[in-house]
Amino acid sequence: MKFKSDVVIGLEIHVELDTNTKLFCGCRTSGNDKPNTRVCPICLGHPGARPVLNKKALDYAIKLCLATDSTLTPEVIFSRKSYFYPDMSKNFQISQYEEPLSVGGAIELESGKKINLTRIHIEEDPASITYPKSAKNSDYSLIDYNRSGNPLVEIVTEPELTTPDEAREFLNKLISVLNYLKIFDMKSGIIKADANISIKGSGYRRVEVKNITGFKEIERALEYELERQKELVKEGTEIVIETRGWDAKDRETYSLRKKETEEGYGYIIEPDLVKIDVNEELIGILKKEIPELAHKKAKRFIKEYKIDKVDAKVMAMELELGELFEKVVKEIDPILAGRWLRRELLRVLNYNKKTLQDIKIDESHIIELLSLIETKTITEATGKKLIEMLIDKPFSPKDYVEKNELAQITSEIELEDICKKIVSQNEKAVEDYKGGEEKSFNFLVGMVMRETKGKANPVIVKDAMKRILS
Amino acid sequence: MIDNQVKEITKGKVKCLDYTKNAIKRIKEINKDNHYITTMCEDLAISQAKEIDSKTKKGKLAGTIFTIKDNICVKDVESTANSKILDGYKPIFDATVVEKLKREGAIIVGKDSCDAFGFGGFNVNVGVGKNIPKNPIDSSRTCGGSSGGSGGITKKADFVHVAIGESTGGSIECPSAFCGVVGFCPTYGLVSRWGLISYADSFDKIGVMTKTVEDNARVMSVIAGHDNKDGTSLKVDKKDYVKSMKEDSKKLKIAIIKDGLSEGTSQEVKESFNDMVETLKKDGFEIDEISLPLTFKYGIATYYILATSESSTNLSRFSGLRYGVEENKKGKYFDDYFSEIRSKNFNTESKRRIMLGTFTRMAGFRDAYYIKATKARTKIIEEYKNQFEKYDLLISPTMPIVPPKFSDIKKMSALEAYTMDILTVGPNLAGIPHASMPIHKGDLPIGMMVMADHLQEDKIYRLLKRIEELR
Repeated sequence: MKFKSDVVIGLEIHVELDTNTKLFCGCRTSGNDKPNTRVCPICLGHPGARPVLNKKALDYAIKLCLATDSTLTPEVIFSRKSYFYPDMSKNFQISQYEEPLSVGGAIELESGKKINLTRIHIEEDPASITYPKSAKNSDYSLIDYNRSGNPLVEIVTEPELTTPDEAREFLNKLISVLNYLKIFDMKSGIIKADANISIKGSGYRRVEVKNITGFKEIERALEYELERQKELVKEGTEIVIETRGWDAKDRETYSLRKKETEEGYGYIIEPDLVKIDVNEELIGILKKEIPELAHKKAKRFIKEYKIDKVDAKVMAMELELGELFEKVVKEIDPILAGRWLRRELLRVLNYNKKTLQDIKIDESHIIELLSLIETKTITEATGKKLIEMLIDKPFSPKDYVEKNELAQITSEIELEDICKKIVSQNEKAVEDYKGGEEKSFNFLVGMVMRETKGKANPVIVKDAMKRILS
Repeated sequence: MIDNQVKEITKGKVKCLDYTKNAIKRIKEINKDNHYITTMCEDLAISQAKEIDSKTKKGKLAGTIFTIKDNICVKDVESTANSKILDGYKPIFDATVVEKLKREGAIIVGKDSCDAFGFGGFNVNVGVGKNIPKNPIDSSRTCGGSSGGSGGITKKADFVHVAIGESTGGSIECPSAFCGVVGFCPTYGLVSRWGLISYADSFDKIGVMTKTVEDNARVMSVIAGHDNKDGTSLKVDKKDYVKSMKEDSKKLKIAIIKDGLSEGTSQEVKESFNDMVETLKKDGFEIDEISLPLTFKYGIATYYILATSESSTNLSRFSGLRYGVEENKKGKYFDDYFSEIRSKNFNTESKRRIMLGTFTRMAGFRDAYYIKATKARTKIIEEYKNQFEKYDLLISPTMPIVPPKFSDIKKMSALEAYTMDILTVGPNLAGIPHASMPIHKGDLPIGMMVMADHLQEDKIYRLLKRIEELR
């Protein structure tokens, strides 16, 4: 064993490719259909029906290989992976085995650490199984073949992740790449993972946790499993090398079955599909469709716009945010734009549990808003309020500010009058301030801001207040 | 011949409906004792016949009576590959071949018996509880297999009739030789496999069985061609095999595969074969001798490893869910349920091949069997390809024996039965076109097998035509 770190994690991530039709038939991949209606003889495995490859799915998967510097196979070969399970319409899955689509490649973390990829391959999704009660306590299960045959890519990492945090960062980076390539539906696409986890304390006895669905669940499952193993080691109990499932409801892993090896699936070459050449011409066409990816874009943002490093990285990670930024900086100071988009806009989005894709935001409105801030026509406080409103519905901030008289009050005379009024109404605070309470000064300034509904220029207010109180 | 038949129907001399009704009646009579047909589809046939009578453009095969091997799907007609596990299964789509035939006015009257899933050479491995077809010349003997019903009915039907068969390792040639009909298996990928219930997908080929060479070429011209629904379908130009059949055959360079005339081949087969070779020589053909040592040494093993590896995965889907036989699932675990269904409804040979094929690809044995066999197959293909640089056609007997008696088949072990495929597995491994042509002088049918390089079907038809004339 060559491992050194306290924790060793390897991931096998299944990502649903965002094609219109399934991997081997013409059925649609998504929609709110009744169970078992988005099906045909091919994805139901009817005798006599045979698969024909969806070239779009292959193109998408090749783009992912190119974007992660994974080395492509010269010819694509599919294999049959045999096992009996009710969610498998043919009781074999068309996958790739001896010749995956690509080998090697890596995704780089913020720290500069590279997480190497073992392989990337394409396979079909099985059907989904639903249970009337929980999986463990149901008398029967129901099968829905709507998902059967959806295109998946499996990305296998080397066991180089050493914490659940790193795993999360890796997944974030991967999702960013998928989003940039536009091969994954960020809203309804499914991401699933199997994780191999072991710790130094047990001599790296490997446990596989299978079928973890969803980004958040992956991190939760890793954290749970890690704690479980640490506890066992502390107790002196030997860790069983096994496959475990993840129960998202009870948030725990549970023993599934004995570990089976890939060799146990009795793979054969899929005889119904011919080999496909991955030639230079195809690679050339697909390469052209790959945009500048997040890490390169972040570096360019820093160099070109001289903005904050963190702002640059965060904005580059999200395709839509990065694109918005580049539109905005044509008219707005990049540092101001970076600060507002990455801190304020993201803060409001996160608070409302929304993404840029969810809302219809018009970049001209953002530009108007930021130019009102840049020219100090409105205060930052007003700007924050307006950005919150923009998340809900589109409107012109400029018109709104005029109509509602939200322009910043910068008149010294006007503000001094207001300060005097506040001082006279808050004798106790004034006394406390004079007695040395600095906090009371801030309270008084805050009262002025409230009186002006946030429109007062805070610098002028502070100056005026000091003059009055001295 | 189809040609005359189509003319009569097209000119309106014969009503297609009357003709079809008579044909159905006759087939039923034949079938009573011979068991060539598993399912009659009278309603379909009658409605097709009525349609043809009502149309002005009746199609290239108007009114020709067809039966279809039971492992090829005909929409709404029970198609079981002659296995009990698919009893009651009525496909919701037509095989591409069936669609093409229907479009040209063919009348489909029934499904032909076969070894279940095509697993056999004598058509005795029928599904649990199903009948074994009898040789049209001698009812104590086999029709051959696996397309035995197709061979039997083609020989016995005393009117224009075509059977659509299917070959994986010799399933068209063997029954054609044993029943005395013309059987043609095209290049792998020339005829679409959409709608064919798989035996071994990298081998399976749909072909034609007829009484005459011309009928065979005519039907092949209709069913060949590219199909988007089959990923292995070849993109090639359409050919008119009836036209190419009539071209001069004398320029064809022919060689006998002498390994096919070794001690394993019976005396009567050798005599008929050598007689025909002499006839051809007298007719002006130059005929050499060659040897295919690799194919004859490793062919059987390579074929059975690869074919069972593939078929064991193909048969996995039959688990008593969604189609075919189904039982009450309440209170049963999936594993127990499907094991029970499969135990009851697969016949012995199906189980044997599932076990063989699962073994050859399992951990620890896969490299030694499955992977090695894929490499051997490449070598065998090379061996044929080398010969086709020098020769247009290779010939050998189709089967090493005359159709055996059922009583003798009972005494054979599974392995002995498998070795009967020694002559036919080669071209099937190589995916090259090959045909069996009746050449017997005595009562019992004997076939000569003619093979050509990929997509050289026309050359085979030319020689077959000449043999037909010389016979």
